[in-house]
Order: sequence, then C-alpha cells, then structure tokens
Amino acid sequence: MAVQASDMQHAAGQGYRQQTGPTGTAAPSEFTVRGAFVGDRRTPIRWIVSHVRRNPLFIVGFVLLSLLHNAVTSTVAALTGTAFDAVLDGKRETLTAIVIGVIALMLVRGVADLGAALSMEVLGKRLSRDAREELYLSLLSKSQTFHNRQRVGDIMARAANDVSMLSHMMTPGIGLLSDSLISLGMPILFIAFLDWRLLLAPLVFLVLFAITLRRFIRNLQPVAEAQRGAFGMLNAGLAQSITGIEVVKATAQERAEEERFQHNARTFRDATVAQGAVQARYLPPLVLTLAQVLGLAQGIWLVQRGSLSIGELITFVSLMGVLHFATFISVFTFALVQLGVAGAERILQTMNEETELDQNSGGHQAEMRGELVFEDVSFSYEGEPVLRNVSFRVRPGQTVAIVGQTGSGKTTLTRLVNRIFDVDSGRVLIDGVDVREWQLDSLRSQISTIEQDIVLFSRSIAGNIGFSLGQQVSREQIEQAARGAQAHDFIMTFRDGYETEIGERGVTLSGGQRQRIAIARALLTDPRMLMLDDSTSAVDSATEDEIQRAIRTLQEGRTTLLITHRLSQIRWADHILVLRNGTLLDQGTHEELHERCELYHRMFAHYEDDDAFPTAAD
Amino acid sequence: MGFIMDGLEAEDYDRQYSDKVLVRRVLGYFASKRKAMALVTTAVVASTLAETGSVILIARGIDQLEREITLGTVAPLIAALLVAGVVYWLANYIRQRFSAQATGDVVLALRRDVFRTVMARDMSFYDEVPTGKVVSRVTSDTEEFSTVVTLSLNLFSQVLLFLFVTIVLVIISPLLAVVVLLLAPFIVATALGFRRLARAATRRSQRAMAQVNANVQEAVAGISVAKAYRQEATIYGEFKEINQRSYVTNLRSGFLYTGIFPLLVTIAGLGTAGVLFFGGRLVLDGNLSSGEWFLFVQSINLFWFPLTSIASFWSQFQLGLAAAERVFSLMDAEPRVVQTGAIPTPALKGEVVFRDMDFSYSPRQQVLRDFNFTIPAGETVALVGHTGAGKSTLGRLIARFYEYQDGDLLIDGIDVRELDLPSYRRQLGIVPQSPFLFSGSVRDNIRYGRPEASDEDVERIARAVGHGDWLETLPEGLDTVVGEAGRALSMGQRQLVALARVLLGDPAIVIMDEATASIDPLTEAQIQEGLDVLLADRTAIVIAHRLSTVRSADRIIVLEQGRIVEQGSHAALMRAGGHYADLYNTYFRHQSPDYRPGEGFVQVGAGADAALAAVG
Repeated sequence: MAVQASDMQHAAGQGYRQQTGPTGTAAPSEFTVRGAFVGDRRTPIRWIVSHVRRNPLFIVGFVLLSLLHNAVTSTVAALTGTAFDAVLDGKRETLTAIVIGVIALMLVRGVADLGAALSMEVLGKRLSRDAREELYLSLLSKSQTFHNRQRVGDIMARAANDVSMLSHMMTPGIGLLSDSLISLGMPILFIAFLDWRLLLAPLVFLVLFAITLRRFIRNLQPVAEAQRGAFGMLNAGLAQSITGIEVVKATAQERAEEERFQHNARTFRDATVAQGAVQARYLPPLVLTLAQVLGLAQGIWLVQRGSLSIGELITFVSLMGVLHFATFISVFTFALVQLGVAGAERILQTMNEETELDQNSGGHQAEMRGELVFEDVSFSYEGEPVLRNVSFRVRPGQTVAIVGQTGSGKTTLTRLVNRIFDVDSGRVLIDGVDVREWQLDSLRSQISTIEQDIVLFSRSIAGNIGFSLGQQVSREQIEQAARGAQAHDFIMTFRDGYETEIGERGVTLSGGQRQRIAIARALLTDPRMLMLDDSTSAVDSATEDEIQRAIRTLQEGRTTLLITHRLSQIRWADHILVLRNGTLLDQGTHEELHERCELYHRMFAHYEDDDAFPTAAD
Repeated sequence: MGFIMDGLEAEDYDRQYSDKVLVRRVLGYFASKRKAMALVTTAVVASTLAETGSVILIARGIDQLEREITLGTVAPLIAALLVAGVVYWLANYIRQRFSAQATGDVVLALRRDVFRTVMARDMSFYDEVPTGKVVSRVTSDTEEFSTVVTLSLNLFSQVLLFLFVTIVLVIISPLLAVVVLLLAPFIVATALGFRRLARAATRRSQRAMAQVNANVQEAVAGISVAKAYRQEATIYGEFKEINQRSYVTNLRSGFLYTGIFPLLVTIAGLGTAGVLFFGGRLVLDGNLSSGEWFLFVQSINLFWFPLTSIASFWSQFQLGLAAAERVFSLMDAEPRVVQTGAIPTPALKGEVVFRDMDFSYSPRQQVLRDFNFTIPAGETVALVGHTGAGKSTLGRLIARFYEYQDGDLLIDGIDVRELDLPSYRRQLGIVPQSPFLFSGSVRDNIRYGRPEASDEDVERIARAVGHGDWLETLPEGLDTVVGEAGRALSMGQRQLVALARVLLGDPAIVIMDEATASIDPLTEAQIQEGLDVLLADRTAIVIAHRLSTVRSADRIIVLEQGRIVEQGSHAALMRAGGHYADLYNTYFRHQSPDYRPGEGFVQVGAGADAALAAVG
C-alpha cells in the first residue's frame, strides 16, 4: 500500500505542477490559477479602481443614470417655475401639458434613480466578492512559512470585516457621495442658464459649505474616535468582570470592579456628550438658509427691476431647495469612503507581504532514510533569539522526545527540519545533506506534520482521510489507513460509516477522534519523517490507549520528533532533548537524564515518593 | 438614513411586562432630567414652528411680489426669513446638545444600577445566562433603552410638523389639502410594506450569510492543510463556489434596501404633480393665490419623510421597550444566595462540616441528599469521581456560590449563612479549573485580591511558588503583560499566577478545581511544587484530575451520585481494588510515567469493602 500511495502522490503532484504552468517556476508563488484577475496593488485606491473598472457597463450605467436622475430633478424644479408663469398668464392648456410632463419626468427619474442605485449595488458587491477572491488566491499562493507564522483564520476574519467595508464604501458611500456632488452641480448649472447673476448665492453657499464641512469633519474625528475608544474600553472591561466573576467573588472584589466599571461608563458618557455637542454645531444647514435668504433677496430685486419673472424666481427658489440633500448627506459618506480605503489598505498589506521562498527545484532529490543532524543551530525570530547552538543527532527510525516549557523553542525546532524557517547559523542535515540543498518538494513531501490544532474539512470521513491524494484513492486504502490509526472502529459506529459528514452539517468529532483521522491522513501519504505534536492528550485512559497505538503505528520505521506532555511517552523515547529558553540543556536516554539532569528529575519527582506503585510488572 | 431601516434584524421576543409599566419606569429614570427634557421639548416645538413658518413666509412673499414690490414690504419678509432660519438652527442645536446630555446621564445611571445588580447575583445566574448576553444587556440594551425617549421625541416633532402643515393647508384650501393628504396612505403603506418584506428578507439573508461565512471560515482554515498536501486547486474551486453564493445572497438583499428610496421619492413626486395640476387650476379659477399654491408644492417635501418615520415608529418603539424589559428583568430577579446574618468572620482554622445537606441546581436533578462530611482543619482532601458525581458542587457550596436547600454548612462550627460574606470569602482561596486573568501585568493579577499588598510581598509570594523559576520564562518577569484574559501566557503559566494570587491571600481554606488541560511536564512540576507550599497546613478541597495530586492527598474521597462511596489513602484504596481502583484504571492509569498503551491495569473487585473498613 505504501508504495502505491507514494505513486499516487506523485501523480497528484504532477497535476499540481501542471496547474502552476510554465511560468510557475519563475514566480515566487506556490500556487497560481491561470486567468485569475490580479488588481493593481501599488496603492489602495489604485487597487479599488482596478477592480471596479472590470465592470465598465455598470460604471457607465451608474454615471449616466445618476446624471439623468439629477438632471430630471432640476428640470422638474424648473418646470415648477414654468407652471407658475403659465398659470399667472392664464394658460390653462400649458399647465396641463406641463403637469403631464412632470408626471412623465417623475417616472423617468424613479427609474433612473433605481437603475443607478442598483448599478452601484452590483459594483459594491462585486468589488467585495472579487477582493475576497483575490485575497484568497494570494493566501493560497503564499508559502507554508507565511501560513505557519500567521493564523490564517484570524487574517480572514479581519479581512471579512475589511471586505464588507469595501462594500459599504460603494453603497451607500460612493453612491451617495457622487449623488450629492451631482446634486450640488446640477442645480447650479440650471441656475446659470436661468440667469447668471443668480449664481451669487449658490456660489457663496458652495464656498461656505466646503469650509464649514471641513471644519466639522476635523472637529468630529477626534471626539468620534474618543467615543469609539471609550465604548471599546467599557465593553472590554465589562466582559472581563463578567468572565472573571468567579475570581471577583472569590476574592470579594465586587466594590473595586464597580468603581472600575463606573469610571469607564462615565468616560463613555462624557465622550458621548462631547460628540453630541460637536454634532449639534453642524453649520451647513445654517449656511444654506443664509444663502437661500440672500438668493431670495437678490431674486426679488431682479424681479423688481423687471429682469426676472415670478415663475423664474420660483424656479430659482426650488433649485436652491435641491441643494438641501447634499447639505445633510455629505458627512456620512466621507466616513464610509475613508473606512473602505483603510480596509483596502489592510487587505493589500496582507497580500503584499513577501515570502522569499527558494523552491530549489534543482536541488537534492532522493528517498529519505531519515537520519537527522542538528549542527550548532541558532535561530531568531523577529529579533528575538529562539534557539541557541543546538546540536543533536538522530539515527533513522528513532523517536526523539522534546521536553521544555511553553516558549522554550520546541515547535520552532521541528519547523527548521521541513524549512518552514531557515536557520540563522549552523546546519540541519537530513541523510547528510543540508536541508537547504534538498529540493523543497522532495523534502516536504517526505516529512509529515501533525499539529496540535487539527483541521478537518466539512466533507465525508473518507474524503478527509483521502484528502492528501486528491480523492484518487481506493476505499481499501482508506480503510487500511484508518485501521492503522485506530480510527476504523469508531468510524463504523456512525450510521453512514466512512461516508459520515464531518462538521457544520454532520457529526462533531472529539479531539481524540480528530487526531486519529489526521494520523490516518498522514499514514496514507507514507512520509519518511514525522513532526508530531501530541501535547493535547486524552482525558481517559481508554482513549489514550487507542491514540498511543495509532501513534506507535505511525512512528514505526519513521524518524520522529515528538512534542508531548506525557511522562510515559518521554520516558520510552529513544532519545530525549531538554530545552530551556532556547538552549539544549541536556540530552540522552531517560535513565541518563534522570541520573544527571536536575530539571528532568524534577518532572518525575511527584510520581516517585514512598509506596509501591502497581504496574503491569506487579 | 431614516428610521425605516432600523431594527430590521431584531429578534422576536416574548414580553412579560406591560407597555405601561415599562414606559413608566423608563420615564422614572428621566425624572431627574425634567428641566433638560422640557428645554428639549420647547426646542422641538420652536424648530417645527420655524420650519413651517419659513415656508409660509415665502408663500406670503410671492403673493406680495405679484401686487407690488417696495423696500418696505420686502425687507420685513427677508428679515423674518432670516430669523426663522436662525431660530430653526438654534432650536436644533439645543435639542441635539441637551438630549445627548440627558440621555447620556440616564444611561450612565442605568448602567450603574444594572452593573451593581449583576455583581450581586450568585453563580447560578452566571450558569444560566451566557457572558455575552449579560454584557449586551449592560451595554447595548441600556443604550437602546434611551432610544425609547429619543424616538418619542422624534415622533413628537414629526407629528407636530405634520399637524402644523396639515392645519395650514386645510385653512388655506381644504380641497387641495385633501389631494395632499391622499398621498399619506400610499407613503405609509409603502413604508410598512417595505419593513415587512425587508424583515423577512433580512432573516433569510442572515441565515444564508451565516452559512456562507461558516463555509468561508472553513475554506480559509483549510489553506494550511491543503498546502501541506498539495490540494490547493481542490479547495480553491470550493471557495470560488461559496464566494459566488455569498455574492448572490448579498446582492439580493442589497437590491431590496436600495430600491425603497427611489420608490418613495417617486410616490412623493407624483403627489407634487397632482398638487401642481389641481392647485394650478384653482389659481386659474381665482380660488387660490399663487403664493398659496407654492406653499402646497413645498409641503409635499415637508411631508413624506416624517410620514415614513411615523410609519415605522411603532415597531421601533417596541424594540426600545423590549430592551428596557431585558434590563429591568435583570435588575428585578431575586438573588438565590441569602445570608441570614452578617457576623464579621473571625480568623478561621478551617474546619468544614456538611450536615444532612440537600442540594440541587434545578428541581430536576438532586445532587446531594442527606450529605454528611467533615474535613478537619488542615487536611488536604482529594475528591474523585465521574463527571456529575458532585465533586465541584462541594467546593461551590463552601464558596457560597450557590444556595443549598436543606441541612447545614458549618465553618469552624459557625453556620455559613450567618457570616458576613466578603470577610468570609477573603479567607478562602479558590483556584478555578481554567484560571482567569485580568488584563494587566502578572503583578497586578497576583495582587488582584489584595490590592494593598506591597511589591515585596508580591515578589516573595511569586518566588515561593515552584521555586520561582517560572518567572524566568516570562519575558518581563512580574511586569509581563498577560493580554486579554491572560492569553499571552500559557495555560500552565496562568495556573502558576492563579496559585500565587491565592497564596498571597493566605487563605484558611483552599478550594481547587484541578485543570484537565494538558501542561508541559516542567510547568506541571512547578505547579505541583507550588501546591505543596499552598496546601501545607491549610484545609484543602481539591477536585483532582492528576495522579500526582491524588497520590499526595491526606485523604481521597470517592464520590458517586452525590454520595461518598469510598475513602482512604491512595495506597490503601489501590490495594482494596474497589471504586477508586476502577477510577484509576479509567482516568489516572495513563498519567503514570510507567504507562504503556493497554498496560498497567489494577485488579478491581476484590476487597472493595475492606478499603472502607481499613480507613474506618
């Protein structure tokens, strides 16, 4: 089975290489899809524009329809004036004609308005869809190094938020923003045609509006930020008091918590009041009123001089009324656009993150025997030294247990083997060849990693076990792997056996069961070396028995680096490394370390006091 | 953009209090803000009057212009308009500013009250209500509570505007007023119809979105596995499909929301056309002045937006009341733990006696019945048993987190109900299963229960736990920031901090729920060493999950369905081969350093009764 499986993997591997295509070798990415769109990633705005531009029909639709919508709005205002003139002149038929015209225009305006809004909606939702897809593809193309450094789930959760901000930026953000810009320009254009002298009031308004709006936004930003911050503090503090309620009660600290909460609640209240005060001082409506009065005065003066009809005056007043919309809407739209651009910036940051990865396609390619040597290896991560001068040697097939506290460098050590990280100094050798000399594909395909958090997919159990071989694997092979992983028996207790769906719509597996499925998945790929993190262990002995049997099957004949918390697993390992703050404190067999290593001895101290302890030997 | 959009995603909720009761209590909170609210109300009236007034003024002006134009007639008009505009702005300023202040104060007072009651609730409450719900009641619901008042103010101003305009219109021309008012039912019906459609659509799309989001999450979590096994193409294909589904769902609900405003505006526009037509004819027939006609045309714009708000008021208002109810019901519930006295707790020796105790969390499951158990001062007792045997219950009852139904709990011979609770709890040391840390430094957390402790004390205590070498693994020592809920520390480090916290309190009685989470053996050893210090010479009740703990306990108590079925030392109970040996085979066997899968079973069955006898 093992041989077959590795053949299969080869086939699958080739399929993958085909997808990368002839250009795939030059690009630093690990995965590309031909024909997939890649935006202009130089700046957030360019990136947004490059995506939006892909839907020219909807852009043109939006622009034309909103121009039409606003033109009609102003035309109706103008027609209102005409209607007055007609009535004042006693022309009954003209009135009827005008009203019919108005009704028609209203319907046209409705359709145009709707069309423009829907176009923008499509643009916004497509933008978020395409942005999400580009991000996803970019994440797929990044190296394992990247993915092991970042929690992809977190990135995507953040991105989900950023992506929805992009959508809000388009609707209602840009939709309203352009609408309010057009609704400022259109009536002013109409006024210019009506009588250029009447431009005085709207132009004065424009200037003052711009100044007051700018000042308002400047004043609002800090208080709004303070208010958001205060709310965050309030919520976080509260959540903490409630989550930690047992400690609060146990230590009788209710009073202190109350004071802390009150302080936060008061800060929030003050911030809210401050924000209310700034918002109340929103000047543009006052500016508009002043401009309207000014315009009216000028208009009346022109009527008095006989150069403007009453109907035209009414047209003018109505057109000035159209400016009302922009006065109230603008503030809200700027914030949305700003948030959207900030979201795009964060998405770009993730996508643009470099992962210098050297595929080394011409490198060493061979079947591994599994001899592993660390030669004076040091490694630091983001300036912090993680491992210092670590040296050890593992013979093929041996199991090495790594012991150390959280943060002592255990996981990092295993990651230097399959080149998720590269050493700073020293060498890591497999079968006598520096891992950097190995062809990356050959290296990684022979090393299997089982991490602490096991990811399974929402599909059948068989699909999950066979995942590694892209489903081109027989049921017998899957069952054989499952038996080896001690998973067959519990799988058969499900009604649908191997076809049982896992996850959201299916069954939920326990930690121990997930671990065994992952072991079966690894067995199917038949790796030569194992990096095994078994630090979450079962609560009861029966489950532990099965997991340990599965691990033993997996270890058989494979060089294994084992991170575990189980004393027994450490004890029975061939070789033990004791790490402390990144240095190799000691290494050897259980007996040797027990004899000479104080720290190692301490771990067993609480289990070997006085009385007889029954074991199988008794 | 209008209330028409608000609250569409609210959940349905069964109410227990009547509207009247709720409104009265809400208003009660605003009672101290009577002056500010009066001012705000006056401002609302003033702004509405100014708004209506300026339209009337313009209409008057137009009529004036037809007759004659002189400075004497125009100047007052312009001045009046200016005044109306300024009054309108000022009134709005006052309204916004003071209502923000009044609601801010009310929400603050309400939050203080809610938080106080929440802190006073016993643990049974926290078992029943998830943390997220409590938090949202204290923050969001209190905020929404104040919307009852702001909404009412809003409704008031909208109705006022509607009334003023209607009155003016009816006075000028009843006939044309009917034309305008005919529009109202259409606008209201459209707004209500939209809300009904949108609520249903929102629910559908929320469900669909939740599903899609879950799928996207999974597709993303799968990236690293897919890469490890070179299956990028497979999961990319799946993602693409999910992403497209999400797009379609989003777009569909988006269309509904963007569609409503063009529709409403069009209806209002058709109304304008009607007024133009009928009004124009009235003017032609000499039954209406042109200024009045203009007034009618303008009124449509004053009309339709308030109408949509009025139409959606009721459901908004109900949402606010529902929030108020959630807040009040939280405050009104009776605490179950009741102290009958408040004797200042003397320095305790630590003897604990359960006498004929009956206890259940809920009427359906009796946990303890006629339970009798004595722990002499200074003894370390390990409780073992299957899940649900009542191990944790004993600790919780001693901590007075829950109320028992019958029997007595005596601490140094004093009925626990008689004691002053804070001074009693200060002499307890409680180590929960997954220790909770507050954001701040390690030092802050050790000091949490004794804010007055000096830096030297904290340091001394920290060094006493596990020989203090665990401090070396913290990047900044005692000043290391622990992050939200202590996440910057490992589980083992968090336990060490929790041990130090309890040790600093120098408790007479320690109640510890041992962690089941797996911890690296070195940290584990440090924790054991810390426990050696903490438990020495103190009464300790340990819910034991670790082999090392049970082995070093003075006495092991085996619980089964709330009864003690076996007790004694580890060695004696192992020899007896009874319940404890059975538990050993199930939970502890694999923790032994000598464990190999399938080996190390202890003989069970023989001499189970001998064990009880041996301990006597």
